[in-house]
Order: sequence, then C-alpha cells, then structure tokens
Amino acid sequence: MPQNETIEELGLDEYKYGFVTEDKPVFKAVPGLSEEIVRQISGHKDEPEWMLEFRLKALEVYESKPMPTWGGDLSTLEATLDEIYFYLKPQEQMERSWDDVPQEIKDTFEKLGIPEAERKALAGVGAQYESEMVYHSLKEQWDEQGVIFESIEDGLKKHPELFRKHFSTIVPTQDNKFAALNSAVWSGGSFVYVPKGVKVDIPLQAYFRVNAEKMGQFERTLIIIDEGAEAHYIEGCTAPVYTTESFHSGVIEIIVNKGARFRYTTIQNWSNNMYNLVTQRAMVHEDAKMEWLDGNLGSKLTMKYPSCYLVGERAHGEILSIAYAGNGQHQDTGGKVVHAAPHTTSQITSKSISRGEGRASYRGLCKVYDGAKGAKSNVECDALLLNETSRTDTYPYIEIDENTASIGHEATVSKVGDEQLFYLMSRGLDEAEAMAMIVRGFIEPVAKELPLEYAIELNRLIELEMEGSVG
Amino acid sequence: MTESATMVAEAAPTPEVKAEGLDFGVFSAGLDEPKALTALRRGAYESYKTLSFPSTKTEEWRYTDLSKVGFESYAPTRPDHEVDEAYPTMVQDVLDRSGDRSGIIVQRNGRVVHAELDPSLAEQGVVFCSLEHAAAEYPELLARTLDAAEPAEMEQKIWTLSLAFSSGGYLLYIPRDVRLEAPVHSFRIIDQAGSFVASQSLVLAESGAEGAVIDEFVSEDIDALSVHSAVVDGGDNATIDYVALQRYGRGVKHFSIQHLISRRDARLGVFNVQLGASLSRGDVSSRLLGQGCDSRMHALWFGDSDQHFDHHTLQLHAEPHAASDLLFKGALSDSSTSIFRGLIRVDPGAQLTDAYQTNRNLLLSDKAKAIALPSLEIEADDVRCSHGATIGQVDDAQLFYLMARGLTRQQAERLLVFGFFEEVLARIPMSGVRARVLEAIEGKIGV
Amino acid sequence: MTEALLEIRDLHARVEDEEIEILRGVDLRVEEGQVHALMGPNGSGKSTLAKVIAGHPGYEVTAGEVLFRGEDVLELEPDERSRAGIFLAFQYPAEIPGVSIANFMRTAANARLSDGEEMDIFAFQRRLMEKMALLKMDETFATRYVNDGFSGGEKKRNEVLQMAVLEPALAVMDETDSGLDIDALRIVSNGINTLTGADDKLGVLLITHYKRILNYIQPDHVHVMMDGRIVESGGADLADKLEAQGYDWLQEAGAAV
Repeated sequence: MPQNETIEELGLDEYKYGFVTEDKPVFKAVPGLSEEIVRQISGHKDEPEWMLEFRLKALEVYESKPMPTWGGDLSTLEATLDEIYFYLKPQEQMERSWDDVPQEIKDTFEKLGIPEAERKALAGVGAQYESEMVYHSLKEQWDEQGVIFESIEDGLKKHPELFRKHFSTIVPTQDNKFAALNSAVWSGGSFVYVPKGVKVDIPLQAYFRVNAEKMGQFERTLIIIDEGAEAHYIEGCTAPVYTTESFHSGVIEIIVNKGARFRYTTIQNWSNNMYNLVTQRAMVHEDAKMEWLDGNLGSKLTMKYPSCYLVGERAHGEILSIAYAGNGQHQDTGGKVVHAAPHTTSQITSKSISRGEGRASYRGLCKVYDGAKGAKSNVECDALLLNETSRTDTYPYIEIDENTASIGHEATVSKVGDEQLFYLMSRGLDEAEAMAMIVRGFIEPVAKELPLEYAIELNRLIELEMEGSVG
Repeated sequence: MTESATMVAEAAPTPEVKAEGLDFGVFSAGLDEPKALTALRRGAYESYKTLSFPSTKTEEWRYTDLSKVGFESYAPTRPDHEVDEAYPTMVQDVLDRSGDRSGIIVQRNGRVVHAELDPSLAEQGVVFCSLEHAAAEYPELLARTLDAAEPAEMEQKIWTLSLAFSSGGYLLYIPRDVRLEAPVHSFRIIDQAGSFVASQSLVLAESGAEGAVIDEFVSEDIDALSVHSAVVDGGDNATIDYVALQRYGRGVKHFSIQHLISRRDARLGVFNVQLGASLSRGDVSSRLLGQGCDSRMHALWFGDSDQHFDHHTLQLHAEPHAASDLLFKGALSDSSTSIFRGLIRVDPGAQLTDAYQTNRNLLLSDKAKAIALPSLEIEADDVRCSHGATIGQVDDAQLFYLMARGLTRQQAERLLVFGFFEEVLARIPMSGVRARVLEAIEGKIGV
Repeated sequence: MTEALLEIRDLHARVEDEEIEILRGVDLRVEEGQVHALMGPNGSGKSTLAKVIAGHPGYEVTAGEVLFRGEDVLELEPDERSRAGIFLAFQYPAEIPGVSIANFMRTAANARLSDGEEMDIFAFQRRLMEKMALLKMDETFATRYVNDGFSGGEKKRNEVLQMAVLEPALAVMDETDSGLDIDALRIVSNGINTLTGADDKLGVLLITHYKRILNYIQPDHVHVMMDGRIVESGGADLADKLEAQGYDWLQEAGAAV
C-alpha cells in the first residue's frame, strides 16, 4: 500500500469499477415495461412460440403479484421500474473470439481484467454486456467431452429439448414477483450442461456488466450437472456509478443429479445505486452435493437467498455467504435449505459486516419435511459492526416437521471495539492496519473457501474500505 | 435457536399443589440444635408458608408438574434421628477405590454420620463440617454464604422448603490463598423409603483460595424425596470446582437449586451429572459479580425408562470483562425426557462480556424426547454472546461401522454415548474426579 | 541525574468526557533493569496508569509528563509508543477471531522495520518457536486465533509470549497474575523471570492486585497507589506489610497527601 498518499489521493471509498463506456447499442427498447417490450425481446431473439407465450404469461403473473413488504425497502422501486430500460442489445451477434468483440466492450472487460483471467485458468468464459452475452467460449478439451457452455439463447436454439425439459422447473414463474419479472423479460445468462461422470476441474466463469444508465439486467441461467459429474461456476457483477437507479434481477436454476457435485460462486460488486433482487435455487438429488458461495459487496439493496432443495437421500447443501454493507447499503441475504429426503444434510454459514450507516440482515430458512429422517442442518451467522450507526438483524426461520432431525443454530453479533483496536495498536500496528486485521480475521472462514484470486480481491476491497473508515 | 412447535409439548394447567403433610411443628418440636440454625429454618418457614407451589402455568415449571410430586406424602427426616452409623456398602466401595481426598462427609437419611478433614488443612483454617456444627461454631460464615444466594421468584418455594426442613448438609470454608490439593467428597445416602431429605451444600472460598468438591447423591430404588440447595461463593481470584453426581435409585424425586457466585477474577466450574432418580429438576444460576471472572457450567445426563430431567440455567453478567460458558449434554433412551431452558442475561454495564450457551441432546429412541429453549437478554452493546441447541440421533453410519466390528447395537450405542459425553468429561479438572464421574456413568449405562 | 527508562511526573488523567480525575499527580521513576511492583486497592488508578502509559484513547491526560528515555510520549499514538519500546501486557487482552498468533506477531514485528523491509518468514517462525519453547508452550499455540476461546491462563501466557517476541525496553504488566490459579501463576512468573534474566536492561512495572505473584517475582521496589497517587514506596518488605495489615493504615497517609 502506498505510504505517503492522503486519503483522497488514494481514492478510497470510491468504486473501482465505476467507469463508463460510451453507450452504442444496436437496439434499445423504450423505457418501462409493456407487452410490446416483451414481444420485442422475444422477436430479437427469434424465439419459438412457446417461449413467447411463457413470457407473456409471466408478465401477467408479475403484474398480479404485489411488491414484497418484507426484506429491504422497495418503496421507490416501482417508480424506478417505470424509468429503466428492460432491454438493450449492445451488438448484433455473440462472439466466440475475443478479437471480434467490439472495441469499447472489449476495453470495458479488459479494464475488469477478464481476458487475463481467462488465459490463466478457466475452462470457459462468458461475458454479458447490458442485456446480451457478447462473448462465450469453452476450451476445446471440455467441448470434446460433451460439456455445453453457451449463452442461454444459444442453449434454447441448439439444445431445445434439454432446455425445455428443465427450464423454469426449479424456479417457477409464480415463485415470486421478481422471478415472474425475469421470466417475462429474461435476456442473457448461461446454459450449462455437464454430462454424466465428466469432472470439469477448473472453473467456468461468467461476467455481468451493466454499462448504460437506467438499465435493467435480467439474466437467466440454467445449469444441469448430470450424474456423477462435477463443476464450478463463478460469476462476477459490476456496473458504473450513475445518479439514477438501476436494476438487476436474475434467476439461476440448477439441477445437481445423483452423485454430482457443483459449486456456484458469486462475487457481486454492483455499484451502490443498483437494486439486486435475485432468485438462485438448486435441486439436489441423491448423494449429490451443492455449494453456494455468495459474496455480496455492492448494490444499494440486495435481496438474495441462495437455496438448496435436498430432494434425494443423503443430498448435501452448503451455503457460505458473506455480505458487506457500507453507507447507504442494505444487504438482505442469507440462505434457504429445504430437507425433503432422509439423511440430507446442510450447513449455512453467514458472515456480515456493516459499516457506517450500512445494514446487513441475515434471512434464512431451514425447513425439514416430515419423513426426512435423520436430516441434519447447522446454521451459523455472525455479524460484525464497525460503527455505532451500523445495523444488523438476524431472521433465522426454522421449521421442523420431523422429530429425528438434528438442527443447530448459532448466532453472534460483535462490534469492532475500541479495546480491540487499542490492543492491536499497542503492538505497533497503525489504526487502518489494525481495523483491516480485525475484519480479515472475521471473514477468514469464508475467504479461505474462495479461489485464491477472489480471496485476494476480497481482502483488497476490504482494505480499501477500511482505509476510508478511519483517518 | 427457534425450536419447532412439534418439539414443545402442550402442558395442561394443574390444580394447586398441596403439601400440608409437611408439618413444621412436628418436625421442629424438641430439636436440640444451635440457635443460628433454628432461626434460619424458622425464617425460611415463615416465607415458605406464604408462598404457593408454582403450577405448570408458570413458564419455568411448564414441563414439571409439582402437583404430581405429592410433597405431603413424605416424612421429613430430622438431623437428630437414629441411624445406623456404618457406611452402606455402596459408599464404602467408592471410598475404597477413590484416590486422594482432603476430607469427607457422609450423611445418611438427613443425618451427618461421619466427617473428617485433613488435619493440615484444619490447621490452615479450612472448615469442612456439618451444617449443625457450622451453625454452632461459625454462624457468621454460614450467614455470609447463605446471604450470597439470591433465589429467583420461581425458585422461592423449593428454596425455602429446603431450608425450613434442613437436615444434614455441610459447610466448606477455604481461607485466603489456601489450596486444597485434593477434592473434598460428600455423600448423601437415602435408604429409608418414604423419607423427605432437605439439605444444603455451602461453599465459601476466600480470595485466592482453590479447591474442588464432589457432592454425591445415592440411594436404593425407593420412593423418596430429595430437596437440595447449594451456594458456592468464589471470592476474588478464587478457583473452585463443584461437581454434583446424582445417582439416586429409581423412585426418588430430586430437586436441586444451585447458586454460584463469582467475584473479581474468580474461576468457577460446575459439573452436574444426572444419572438417577425418576424425576430430577435442577436450577443452576451463575452470577458473575466481579470483573474478570470466569464461570463454566456443565451438565451430563443419561435417561432411560421414563426418567424426567428438567434443567434451568441462568448466566447473569453484572460486571464487564467476565466470561461464562455453558455446555449441557444429555443422552436419552426409552421414553425418557429432558428439558433445557437457559438464559444468558447481560446487564447494561457489563461490556466486553463473553457468554456462550450450548445444549446438545442425543435421542437413542423414537419415544425419547428433548426440548431445548435457549435464550438471550442483552442490554450491553459490546459483547460476544452465542447460543446453540441441537437435538439429534445416533449417526447410523457410525453405528454400522461399530457393529461391523462385532459390537452389538447396544454396545455400539453406549460407546457413541461416551463419545458424545467426552467433550464435557474432558473439562472435569482433576483426574481423580473425572475417573469417579466416568465410573458412575459406566455403572449406569454399562460398556 | 541520568535519564530514566520511564519517568512519570505529576501525571493527572481522567476518562475522556468525564470530570473526575482518576490519576491525581503520579510520580514514578523506573530505571533500566529494575522491577517495580505497583499495588493498591480496587479503583485506586493502577490500571488507568498502565493504559495512559500505553496511550489508550479513552483517557485524557490533563497535566504532567510521561518520559520514556527522556522523550515525552504523551503525544504519540499507541502504535508509535509500542514501536518505541513500550509494551503493555493487558489485564483483559482483546480477542481477535480469525487472526492467528503467528500472523499477528509477524505483522507486529514487521511494523518495527522501516518501509519496504520485510522479515524473512522462516527466520520469524524460528524466533517465535524459540520464544514459545522458552515459555513451555505447545507449537500449535501459534496457529490459534489471538485470544479467541482462550482460558484466562492462556490469555496471560499469550501476553508474555508477545512480550518475548517484541522485546520491549519497558514492560508494563497490568494484573498479569489476576485470574490465574497457582499452576498458571507459576508458569507466567517463570516466563517473566526468564525474560528479565535474559535482558538485564528490561524495565518492568508490575501492577498487581494480589501479593501472591511477589512470591515468584522479586521486585526491586514496591509502590502503593491510592486515590490516584503513589502514597508509599519501599522495598519488597512493603508488600509483606500490606499483606499483613491491608491498606487501611495508608488511608490516612493518602488523605494527608
């Protein structure tokens, strides 16, 4: 870290990914939502009739459902939704070669370090810019083994049967208002299929970038991990800082078949004017293992509760979540596990940090159905408050209909106290170092689960945030 | 921990509890005892008279119905009644095999029949004697210890009952900076059916004192009532471990109230091992009254047939920089039940408190039942508190593994129960004490 | 007069934003290689003095000086005082979950180097292991999180370990003996004696609430603090007198000052 710069010179508390690339779309819908927009989206994608019908029905469901009254403050969201662009097509076609991606978009992703990351160690990379995937590639080795890693649109075109068999089966349109919205206007996202027994041992990665002002991004991802297969999917999200609010509402559907293993990692670092309301759900079958690793650092309001439906015997679900709520941010995050088969096991670990006027809420559900004999679940949530004004809440809902279940819940709330800071400083550490050390220690159990480059990134972000919090 | 509704049984309201059979006049008539003791029991009886037994409508007594105890049907034992002074074999056996001890007190049916203390400790001012003797020789120590207890409203009836009909019991006093190298051992034996034995264990440790106490409760399988109250007052920088080992026979109903007080820098450890009795209700409260003190509360219980265990705990933090930890673990077979209700309370000024509370239950049968109700009340804003509770079953994979090595299902289960208890057993401080507890558990559940 | 290791002159201090002074004119001089014991009843200001010497932000110095090797340190931040050679063994060490002792100590040792310099990780590891052996600590101790879930005795031992690793010129030990049973007290005292034995220039200010530790650590001077002042100073025999007679006999002396 530079030693002699002032706090301002360091640009602390500024959002690193806040740069704007000039907006040159090939198609931009009018703001607001209407049946016409939905038809336009479907038309641009040259979709089969059933999908258009699916979208239109979803629009009706969306309009019929009230805004949720729990979680974060959504009171101004309706007005925001009237203003935003639901569809914005940045280029004519998706590219498979990085060189063919338009220069401005390429510059954007270069700044985010994406091709560099791909060269390093990824099995495949997808990049979404505004509403469409602009780039998708998969290393040949995996292609040959039958692995599918496509944009969701190409998934629908090239693998219509597999797609239709699973699409919207995990997150039905009626599930919640924002799942219905996504179902109506979805655009972009990934379609992944890993065939039986294939073990993709290096991660597949997708980047989501919102560049235009007042943009709504509604990606849809469908992932099927077949019997005995293994994979790891990572997504990263960023957006520039505008004064107006933007909106991101993804739906992620995952099927982990018998004996398969899958890990889904998200590092969400949206700018602080983004509503981020995402539905992520995995259906986990017999002896399969699903892990969600969910990092929420950015956005104005995030409401996101990755879920595992454990429907096969001995299925295992794990949710590791870390949230950072700075000034003006509300992270309403957590996890959901549903035990619907015997001997299923789950673990939820949640760590949140609130700073300044930030608010982090843990909202979790552990549900054990009657008949899920010997189900085991353990929930741990720890909250760290950095300032007097920071806020944290814990809402652990536990519903057990099976008396042989073993359920544990542990919650801690701690404050970075003056005594802790003084203790570290009395050993020679300066204040910023001391604060960063306390926070790093707090997130250590989660950070050590992250791929190295993400762990480093997370630590760097936290160090930056800490620099800004003292001094 | 939010427990599901199914884990919580509905309890019907009960009629008022009657205990008119406990005639204080008959009990106290002609008792030749030190004035301090008479005053104490009379005072307690005055309060006792005005109180009623809590009904199951009282939240803390929801799962233990006092109207079914039949207090009036038991005859209170008197400290002066005739008893055979020989040790029953169940005590002699233990004494022969136990290791070093600093002193021993044996009480039979409410009468102290034997008391001894290492003379070198007596020389240093240590007192370990019957309550009667203490009332005669050290009334101020007796009063000081009892005054330190602050029974909660819901405990008052049983607390005053134990004092009004007090018979037997002891006082242990450890002066400043004196260390007991070996534990003192107390036995309470009941072998007279239909008797009601009420007694106290009073432990007062001065600044820097160190020691360990084992309170052991034994009986035949007889119908009897036992009411016990304990006060352990750890002075500044004192180190005290208190172990209560309840292995009464079936038919006994046991009520115990323990008040633990930790003063500045004191370290208190409490181990409750509940193996016997048909009904065992224990209220353990630990008050942390000085800065820098440390209280550790532990319990183990193993239930079979229709045994009923009801545990209530309080960790009260009144001063900053204190730490408390609670670990209560119970294994339940057949149709036994257990209740755990625990509260951590942190007063407004008690900043930098560390308080933890864990209750784990292992169900060995479909009919066994555990209820866990942990809770927190925190009024300070810079604390670390956590609570956790689990109710689970023996892991089938583990069971299968052991059975694949030739163990019967029962042997395998018992072994896993030991594994489950190990976490608490490992925290028992002196190896001699640990061995004694282990032996008692083995005696109950077999290996 | 030669420059003292620590010289406190007429020190007055209070809790920030409160009126009442806790330190009301403390004078104390500790030379290199000396062990001073500071005793006194509850609330006499002993711990406040320790915190003020280390620069705790919750206290405000209203008058007086704290000179370390002749330099006034009152304007220095706690980390600057630490790097200058003042070490405080805390009465209540803070817990830092997720941060291993090894990582913490390496960061603290690195903070003592000039910019751009970094300690060799293996050399540091060796040094840490040496010090742990000195204090009869198990190697796995270094991998545990700082004071997290430690017993009272372990926390105090960890303070002495840090003192051994950071090699200060002055150690202020605030009730390092409180909350220890006899066995733990022996280990901690041996550790302190080993450090004073190894560095004949190390100055120690040993604050204690109980006389017991002085059976293990021989002080050169004993001071009694009451009502925010040092009211009596003497040799090791003063501690015995306090043990036998308590503080009451000093009460009048305190009032007279």
